[in-house]
Amino acid sequence: MVSLRVIILTWEFPPRIVGEISSYTDRLAAELTKRSVEVHVVTYHEAMSGLFQAPDGVKIYRIQNPVETHFNVVTWDLTLSVEFERVLSNIYYQNRGEIDLIDAHEWLCSLPSLAAKRWFDINLVWTAHSLEDQRSASANAPLNIAIKNLELLAAQEADRVIVKSEFVKAELTRVYGVPDSKIDLVQPSSPTWIDEVMNSYKKAAI
Amino acid sequence: MNEPTAGTELLNVTMLSWEFPPRIVGGIAPHVHDLSLELSRRGVSVDVITCDFPGTAEEEEIDGVRVHRVDSYKFPTTDFASWAFMMNANLKRRAFEILRPKRGLVQIIHAHDWLAAVAAIGLKHVLRTPLIATIHSTEQGRRGGIHTDYQRMIHQTESWLTHEAWRIICCSGYMASEVSSAFGLPRESIQVIPNGVDSTKFARPFSKDDLRRRYADPTEKLVLYVGRLVYEKGVGVLVSAVPRVLSKVNAKFVIVGDGYMRDDLSREARRMGVADRIFFTGFLDDDTAKALYRCADVCVVPSLYEPFGIVALEAMASGTPVVATNAGGLGEIVDHERTGVHVFPNDPDSLAWGILRVLTAEGLSKALASNAYEKALRVYSWKGIAERTERVYRQVLAEYSAGFWKPV
Repeated sequence: MVSLRVIILTWEFPPRIVGEISSYTDRLAAELTKRSVEVHVVTYHEAMSGLFQAPDGVKIYRIQNPVETHFNVVTWDLTLSVEFERVLSNIYYQNRGEIDLIDAHEWLCSLPSLAAKRWFDINLVWTAHSLEDQRSASANAPLNIAIKNLELLAAQEADRVIVKSEFVKAELTRVYGVPDSKIDLVQPSSPTWIDEVMNSYKKAAI
Repeated sequence: MNEPTAGTELLNVTMLSWEFPPRIVGGIAPHVHDLSLELSRRGVSVDVITCDFPGTAEEEEIDGVRVHRVDSYKFPTTDFASWAFMMNANLKRRAFEILRPKRGLVQIIHAHDWLAAVAAIGLKHVLRTPLIATIHSTEQGRRGGIHTDYQRMIHQTESWLTHEAWRIICCSGYMASEVSSAFGLPRESIQVIPNGVDSTKFARPFSKDDLRRRYADPTEKLVLYVGRLVYEKGVGVLVSAVPRVLSKVNAKFVIVGDGYMRDDLSREARRMGVADRIFFTGFLDDDTAKALYRCADVCVVPSLYEPFGIVALEAMASGTPVVATNAGGLGEIVDHERTGVHVFPNDPDSLAWGILRVLTAEGLSKALASNAYEKALRVYSWKGIAERTERVYRQVLAEYSAGFWKPV
C-alpha cells in the first residue's frame, strides 16, 4: 500500500556527484521507498558514467540540457528547468494526477517546482542545502542576485522548507523572511531522520 | 499533410512576446499587435502575455485582445540573454496565474522569437497545448554566422524552440529556407505567412508642404531612408552613393533612425563634402515617420540582410516608389521594374543607378508606385494574414485532436 507519491527534483544524483546533494537524495529515495513511498527522481545527467545501483523501486528519469552552450549557471539552469517541467508534467499526466508532493532541492529546481505548485496544485517541499548568501559571501553581483531571486521564489512558493542546520534556518528567516513555522530542521545524522522528513512531507501534503 | 479543417468553434490563443506597443524595440511589437487585433476581429479569443513598460496598465483590453503585462525583471544582469531568460521566468510564473481561469480552454500557444522560448516551451509541456513559433529572424542571420559562445547559446535556443514547435511561421520564403537549413528542419514544418501593413495608417490627412519643408527644399528631390543605422541595413552604402546621385540630380537624403553607425556616417558625409545634403533625423514618432513616406520622391532600402523588409512594404502602402536590394525577403516584396527597382546589395553604383532611374523617369515612377500600392493591399493586408494564421491554428488543432498527447 503506497502511503505517499513523491517527485524528487535534483540536479545531482548518483552516479553524478557534484556535492553532497547526490548522496543525500540517493539515501532519501531509498529510505522513502522502504516506507512505502512511491518515489520518482528527476535528475540531470549529460553522459552516464560510473557504477551505480539504483535503489529498489525508485523510478529515475535523467534529463539533458536542451541548450548545450552556456556561459553562466543561471541561463544553464533556466533552460534545464524546462526539461524538468517537461518530465514532471509527463509523470503527472501518466499517473493521472496522482502525485502528492514535490521535493525540490536547491534553487536550481525552483522554476519547475513553480509549475507543479501553480498549475498542478501539487504541494511543495523545498530542501535548502545551502544559500547563495553564504556560498558567495554576500556577493551582490548580477549573477548572485539572479540566484537569490530564484531562491526567494522557492522559499515563497514552498509549503514547507527542509533545512539541515540551525544556521541555514536562521539565514532563511534573515535573508528571505521565511516564517519559522514553515521551516523543518531535519538533521541527516539523526537516527529518526527519515521519519522527520516524512513528518515534514505529511505537513506539506495536507 | 492534412487539409486545413474549416472549423468554426471559438479559438483560444495565448501569444507570448517580449515586446508589445507601446514597448517597441523592433518589428515584433507592431507585428504581434496588428496580428492579435485582426485575429480578435475574426472572432479568435487572444491573450497577449508580454513585458511591462512605464506608464502602461498591467491588464488592458484593446479591441477585444487581453494584454497582460508582466514584471520584466529589473535587477541588473550581466548580458541581454541572461536578462531575457530571467524575464522568461517571470513571464512563466505569471502565465500560470493568468491562464488558470482558462484551464482547459487554451488551445494554442504562439511564441515570437527565442526571447519567449523558455516560457513558451515550459507552458507547452505543463498545459500539454500545441506550440506555434514565429521566427522573425535568426542569430545566424543577424550576426552573419555564429562566432561566439554567446551567439551559439542563442542559436541553440532558437533551434530548441523550432524543434519544440508544432509548426513554425516565417514571414518570407527566404527566412523559411534559412530556418530550415540553420536548424535542420523539414521545409514542410514551416509555413510562410508574410508580415502585414495597415495602409490606412498612411492615409491620414496632414499638411504635406509644411512637413516636407522641414526636411528638404522644394527644389530638392527627397530621398528617404528609414531604419536602424547599423551595418546590415546597408545605410553606409547609401551614404557612399550620395555624391553619385547628386552629380545628376538635386536631392536631399533624409535618414530616419538611429544606431551605432551614426557618427561614422556623418563623418563620411563631411569627408565627401555632402554633409548639407544628408539630414540625420534620429528616431521620429510613428505618425511623423509615416507621413514622411508620403513626402518622399523615392524610398531606399539598401539592406545587406533582411528577413522580411517591412520598410519597403510601408513605402509601397504609402504610394512611394521603392528602390531596394534583393537581399533576403526584399526579393519577394519588390518585383523589379513592376513594383519597384532592384539594385545589387553592397554596390553604391548600382544603388545610385536605381535612385536616378526612379527620380528621372516620372512616368515609370508613378507606375511603380501604383502597382506597389495595389500589391500592398492585395498580398499584405492584415485581414488576409490573420485568416492564413487562423488556418494554421486550426490545422494544428486538428492534428493535435487526432493524437494522444493531451492533458488528461
